[in-house]
Amino acid sequence: MRLQRNLEVWKMGMVNYLDALKLQEKLVIDRKLGKIPDTLLSLQHPPTYTLGKRKTYHNLLVPEADLRSMGAELHYTERGGDITYHGPHQAILYPILSLRDIRLGARKYVENLEMVMIELASLYGVGACAGRTGETGVWVEDRKIGAIGVRISSGITSHGLAFNIDPDMNYFKHIVPCGIADKEVTSLKRETEKTLPSDEVIHEQLVSCFAKSFGFGNILLKNITLEKGELAKGLP
Amino acid sequence: MAMRMWASSAANALRISCASNTAFALPKCFSTVIDGLKYAPSHEWVKHEGSVATIGITDHAQDHLGELVFVELPESGTAVSKGNSFGAVESVKATSDVNSPISGEVVEVNSKLSDAPGLINTSPYEEGWMIKIKPSNPAELDALMASKEYTKFCEEEDAAH
Repeated sequence: MRLQRNLEVWKMGMVNYLDALKLQEKLVIDRKLGKIPDTLLSLQHPPTYTLGKRKTYHNLLVPEADLRSMGAELHYTERGGDITYHGPHQAILYPILSLRDIRLGARKYVENLEMVMIELASLYGVGACAGRTGETGVWVEDRKIGAIGVRISSGITSHGLAFNIDPDMNYFKHIVPCGIADKEVTSLKRETEKTLPSDEVIHEQLVSCFAKSFGFGNILLKNITLEKGELAKGLP
Repeated sequence: MAMRMWASSAANALRISCASNTAFALPKCFSTVIDGLKYAPSHEWVKHEGSVATIGITDHAQDHLGELVFVELPESGTAVSKGNSFGAVESVKATSDVNSPISGEVVEVNSKLSDAPGLINTSPYEEGWMIKIKPSNPAELDALMASKEYTKFCEEEDAAH
């Protein structure tokens, strides 16, 4: 008999990168202690560049000061993967899952995340596929539409995936995205012939693809806005 | 789409679990478990020889992670404690913490891993060793799993719902 797996989905709107990072750190601890169920954060970031654990600064093509004058932030993180850009109209999912409970290793987990984005793209008639070895992510031919960067700490996941709905592609020019020099970045807007609904609808579809891909039958949706100082005193 | 994926996940799980009750090395569709080592539930192994314990991750772990591209290790002299992270590995865009099965002080680190992280994939129990420590509390070894227990543990973990 398969029991229904519970997933709590936090719809968060636009969230500053560091706030989201601190929130994830807290949720990872809570998930490890069993205080919360598997949780999925669904959000977008203001213009932000991030580096992974390997600190591949050489893939940043402009001085850091230039990024600030563009209105973007730069952060170093503990996730896997190379340098990337996050910004408005890019859908982000940060799953905080216990991999042991869902019986997945890192590789299968990442493959599942790829499937989530491939499935979403297919809803819009876009044929995407997983990257070859060493080029993890989701591609439409040789244009990258979705990126993945994950951290696993004591079996609990954080960070996750970023799917390009219609971000400002100019921001990608200032980096070698994901360290892959000769490939383009693309978006759903560029690849589909269909009219796109609002970002909120696409986020909901992405969450739905996620729930299906990971076998979550019981979804609890919450609208969460992070108030200033909320992280300091603990969350709702 | 979802049904196809579930079918292939189940097939993968079966392939791993039906083979991990062998204790000798076979082509890479089987997970190897070495007799004489001790194992932690987070898939690290310990080899205790006299005053030094060598630590690494198991064949099961490296198989589930995929090809490693980066390994982060502590410096000699660092204290490690049982169940806590001493470093990390990166594969397929995922960094995973590696935990120490026992407490002690790092006396040696496998420096080959910075240029050749894949040694952990090809030789997880030999050339892919990660750190050597001086155990501070050898009794902690008794709480770890022996090879038969660990094999069973992996089978249960991999079994589909």
